[in-house]
Amino acid sequence: MKRRVVITASSAITPIGYKRSDIIESLLQGRSGVKPLRDDGLLTQHIHSRVFGTVDYPIDYGFTRKDTKTMGPVAFYACQVAKDVLAASGLEQEFITSGRLGVSFSSTHGSPTVQRNIYKTFFSKLPSEFSSIGAVDYLKSMVHTTAVNITRMFGITGRVIASSTACTTSSQSIGLGYEMVKYGMQDAMICGGADEYDTTTVAVFDNLLACSVAYNDRPECTPRPFDTKRDGLVVGEGAGAVLLEEYESAKRRGATILGEVIGFACNNNGGDLILPNLDGITATLRLALKDADIRPQDVDFVSAHATATKMGDVIEAQAINAVYGGRPLITGLKSYMGHTMGSCGAIETILTLYMMEQGFIAPTLNLDSVDERCRMLNHVRKVTTGETRIAAIQNFAFGGVNTCLLIARDRDTGA
Amino acid sequence: MNRDELQKKIISILEDDFEFAHPGLTDNLRDDHGFDSIDAIELLAKIETMLGFQLTREEKEKAMSIRTINDILDYIEAIQTAHHS
Repeated sequence: MKRRVVITASSAITPIGYKRSDIIESLLQGRSGVKPLRDDGLLTQHIHSRVFGTVDYPIDYGFTRKDTKTMGPVAFYACQVAKDVLAASGLEQEFITSGRLGVSFSSTHGSPTVQRNIYKTFFSKLPSEFSSIGAVDYLKSMVHTTAVNITRMFGITGRVIASSTACTTSSQSIGLGYEMVKYGMQDAMICGGADEYDTTTVAVFDNLLACSVAYNDRPECTPRPFDTKRDGLVVGEGAGAVLLEEYESAKRRGATILGEVIGFACNNNGGDLILPNLDGITATLRLALKDADIRPQDVDFVSAHATATKMGDVIEAQAINAVYGGRPLITGLKSYMGHTMGSCGAIETILTLYMMEQGFIAPTLNLDSVDERCRMLNHVRKVTTGETRIAAIQNFAFGGVNTCLLIARDRDTGA
Repeated sequence: MNRDELQKKIISILEDDFEFAHPGLTDNLRDDHGFDSIDAIELLAKIETMLGFQLTREEKEKAMSIRTINDILDYIEAIQTAHHS
């Protein structure tokens, strides 16, 4: 059984806005969400990179204590975007709790804030500090905390998938959710990812010399995907969720169809866990086209992973060129908000949906001078209007995991 | 701490930290206030802080039979007595 899978609701909390209109405005105005790294009183002083993709606006969660007692900061983000998609979907409560709706959602590593508080007890000599480690801390910090706080809050009883694969966490969440619905295991899935403010992730990339350090005094000028003066990635925070539904039932109930997932691929480089791999990435892009049964020339826009690391962007450009040539428009959306880690695939999918709906493609920010090794691509340098029928969202992760999602506008109307 | 002081303290914890509305001494904690296993673990940690010593595993296991606020008060009084004897 192979069924069509459509996206019927979406929500994102990003460094460039939360409301759909704010995010679109930021994309159109070229507004960056990269700000100075907040002081955590622990690691910040040792980190060379002083920039962060920051969510610095208040969010009115409206959760009760009953909801929040098992939630760390990452679950607040996750439950908020899940709440938004359920509210926007118009799904009946009976369906939500029927077992036919599942959740595919995760984060890079649960809640680092809560984990850090647990670790602090190791450095404390007070027995009362030790006894404060409890089951609640585990529920708040465990790797699938986002997924199960969503199921708990809304009484969802279907399948739970929590794919924590670093930068491909939420693109995998969407891809695996798509396969759940496509092959009839579930009728609908809430899919996405979230990551909270966390300096340990910044420290990791900083120590690997992968973080941007040259623009600490001008945060909005970094990251710079594909630019000659790029100097590394910028870690960020955020969340994104989409609701995937089986096409026929979505149509029957009159749901708004934002787009259709027509293909997904995921593979592994089968070797080095850090370095980008041209063969592995190229294979992923081709596998996605095969899954969607479309040709390379059918893809109008590629949302590149484009973290702005020195080698990552070059390898990705080579893979795009090998598969698509220089035709599709290319944007690195991380240029607006940094690398939101476990949420980047979902956020970039949602931003792509917004742009497809609005009929424009935003440019890569800070792309002043394209690296000559990336010049063979059709980089978007200014807001470009026009129809995007099919878009590719590609993400690659530490661990050698690669993903590619293919999204189409409503194929029935030809829009 | 006598029974009245204890009652005042526990009700204050239940209202402030567990968002209980109008707690009654014989209310069923689970049915009337949605108090679950996670809350029970949190309450035990607060009781330890209040008493100033750690509860033993056996003492904690005895808390599993608590159903009402009166049960909580009886439980704490029994522990206080055992520790002072």
